[in-house]
Amino acid sequence: MMTRSRVLWLLLLTLLAPLVGGCAATSVKPWDRDLLAQKSMRFVPLPMESAIDQHIYFSKEGSMGGQEAGGGGCGCN
Amino acid sequence: MQLDSAPRPAPVRARLRAAACLLLASSIPGARAAAAATTQFDASGLLYGELDRAKVVEPTLRVMRLLDNGQSFSAGLVLDAITGASPSGAMPTGRAMTTTSASGTVTNHAPGEIPTSPFSDFRGALELGWHQPLGGIVATDLVTHYSREKDYQSIGGTAALSLDLMQRLTSVTVGGGYDYDNVFPVNGVPVGLSPVVAGTGGPPDEGPTNASAVTAAAATGGTSAAVKQVPSAVVGVSRILTRRWMVSLNASRIVQRGYLTEPYKIVSVIDPDSGTTVGSITEQRPTTRDRRDLLANSVYHFGTGVFYSSYRYYWDDWGVRSHTIDLKYRRDLAEETFFQPHVRLYAQTAADFFRFGVVQGEPLPTYASSDYRLGPLRSVTLGGTYGFHVPDYPGELTVRAEYILQWGDGHPSDAVGVQRTLDLMPPLHIATVMVGYTRTF
Amino acid sequence: MKAPAVRDSGAPSLRRVDDYFVGTFMAMASPCELLLDTDDWDDARAALERVHGEAARIEATFSRYLDGNVVHRINHSAGRPVEVDAETASLIDYAATCWEASGGLFDITSGALRRVWKFDGGDRVPSHEALAATLRNVGWHRVTWHSPVLTLPAGMEIDLGGIGKEYAVDRAASLVAAGTRAPFLVNFGGDLFASGARRGGATWSVGIDDPEHTGAAALYRIDFDRGGLATSGDARRYVMWQGRRLGHILDPRTGWPVSGAPRSITVLATTCVEAGTLSTLAYLQGAAARDFLDGQGVRFWIL
Repeated sequence: MMTRSRVLWLLLLTLLAPLVGGCAATSVKPWDRDLLAQKSMRFVPLPMESAIDQHIYFSKEGSMGGQEAGGGGCGCN
Repeated sequence: MQLDSAPRPAPVRARLRAAACLLLASSIPGARAAAAATTQFDASGLLYGELDRAKVVEPTLRVMRLLDNGQSFSAGLVLDAITGASPSGAMPTGRAMTTTSASGTVTNHAPGEIPTSPFSDFRGALELGWHQPLGGIVATDLVTHYSREKDYQSIGGTAALSLDLMQRLTSVTVGGGYDYDNVFPVNGVPVGLSPVVAGTGGPPDEGPTNASAVTAAAATGGTSAAVKQVPSAVVGVSRILTRRWMVSLNASRIVQRGYLTEPYKIVSVIDPDSGTTVGSITEQRPTTRDRRDLLANSVYHFGTGVFYSSYRYYWDDWGVRSHTIDLKYRRDLAEETFFQPHVRLYAQTAADFFRFGVVQGEPLPTYASSDYRLGPLRSVTLGGTYGFHVPDYPGELTVRAEYILQWGDGHPSDAVGVQRTLDLMPPLHIATVMVGYTRTF
Repeated sequence: MKAPAVRDSGAPSLRRVDDYFVGTFMAMASPCELLLDTDDWDDARAALERVHGEAARIEATFSRYLDGNVVHRINHSAGRPVEVDAETASLIDYAATCWEASGGLFDITSGALRRVWKFDGGDRVPSHEALAATLRNVGWHRVTWHSPVLTLPAGMEIDLGGIGKEYAVDRAASLVAAGTRAPFLVNFGGDLFASGARRGGATWSVGIDDPEHTGAAALYRIDFDRGGLATSGDARRYVMWQGRRLGHILDPRTGWPVSGAPRSITVLATTCVEAGTLSTLAYLQGAAARDFLDGQGVRFWIL
């Protein structure tokens, strides 16, 4: 019987495979990167807001983690 | 000088060519390569308020300098001023209570109200970062931080390596961090699960200004400070799928070791028949916590706007598991103007040792905490950001207002006596306003 | 020149055409474009940002329509000496050389004449008295220039519009060349510069519009691989006088538009500034334009 951890790691690997692999057919040509160049096309478009949010949520809730490594640096989590 | 009415077609070209070369060769001080913005300045101010509880004012400043070779340095300063009241962990007793603190302040609690204690704290954090590209597809990021508040100090850093593959369509990041924290509560580190003698009747107050009652209970412990060490690691893969769509998957793990208990929080001792509070003991949490999460992100450009969605699954060895869904839609209105509504949904299960008080007469558990943040918590956030710039003035501004509602399952099946009639995790209303300013030089 | 299709906002946009990139934006009241013969989108984006930035910078610094810049300061100095920065000094040096080499035809102080001439296709011409009065405020020989200090008598003004766009093309081109090896062509509203043959040895192909019928198919096709190309002509701004069309380029010695000049003169030279100056000078020769250019050793096209 697989433990919850094992299931989740397997799920992670399954999702990762197409990300790292990838077919040439779906490749995005360099000249199609017009939209991708915009400032809004980032995973974290407003980093200051995001950093403040992370701080609010990990000090008011029991979870932490996400985009970057780091332990929080305060007594609130 | 002589001006002919019909100039001869002298080979004036030679002179012009020489003159043009001279003109173009002349150095132009102050003209930089266009758009190679070399310095970026960010400032923001947060106002945070919980109804009847804590209020925070938090200004942030950040400066980043980008060099021609792609290297960049950044420095950030965050200041936090927190005042207000925070739940002490004590259970409501169903009757009006009066508490007095060591300093003589009198607080009245309505029946059923969650007991809180006043506190104030000030925190400052400094962060320095360095980004270095190494060749075409590899880059490193190093960040170090120092933060300090009245009873807590943290020093740490993170290092990350990122690789761009397949003509930058795929990016892999690996990072690690380490924090070394010192906890030095007012009056020392309390011994866990030890009785707390009240100041003058009723549940004791807590917090740095009123901590004497709680931490004095541990005077026999003799420890003035404790250490917390936090190594962490993160792995992430991001991929551009189409012209409009990019996704990423991150996995991270944070292992906390050392003093992880909240020194000022208490657990009520409950009478087994009536359910009223008859005493209090200090908290005790395990000395390690292994925390992991998986985060999936998607950014999709619709043409008129961008849709950001993320899902995070978190779990740790304290029994806390949570789901977080975060959705934002950035609608571009005009040049440099946008409106971005935001919804966040959160749900967590309680830690294994979370309890609404310990029952008098029963054997003490190894670990116990009534800190609602480790309890069965739900929260919803609704808000919006408006981004704009003032014509003729440099820089971009953002204004954000958000409302957070946090509540929990406050009617546990093992509630005792009067506890059955009360909501042990009533809703908490939070409002935040944030203003941000970015300017590039 | 075929106007490149552009979005209305000033922000540059980049797209792929055949096997090269075309970046477009608006600046100096003209449609501007950068053609970069490469497959690297990041290179193209970076080069376009440089070109756009430089065009915006030069327009902001030297446009006589904007308040607060060095040209504005000079034109409102009311006869007081003005010290200018190194770049402005080098542009004024160039203008002074052109004035001297052209026998006074090329004159950046001739802008004052636009106060009395309105080239709107109508038939109003200034009176003799108005013109004589204005001519007293025209003439580089009245200016005191000892780099970097310029003293412009009150009532006079300078206009760098005659070389500004060509200068911007050459400056933008040098910034692109500093950042990429790919062959490219910078085109600011018809004044352009190409850095070299395209990949595979092909030349750049540029169409010259019929000034009478803009929008129709190009009259001339110019193939070249390197150099600056500029066009002088009376295509859009003119005045009708005694049934004749007079272009907007004025002879600073007489105050009148040049007569007998060809409709359109295009010159290919080493740099865009040089090509622009030569085409303007040729135009100022009026009917003798062709003879003038024949002796200069440049390729040219006259309509």
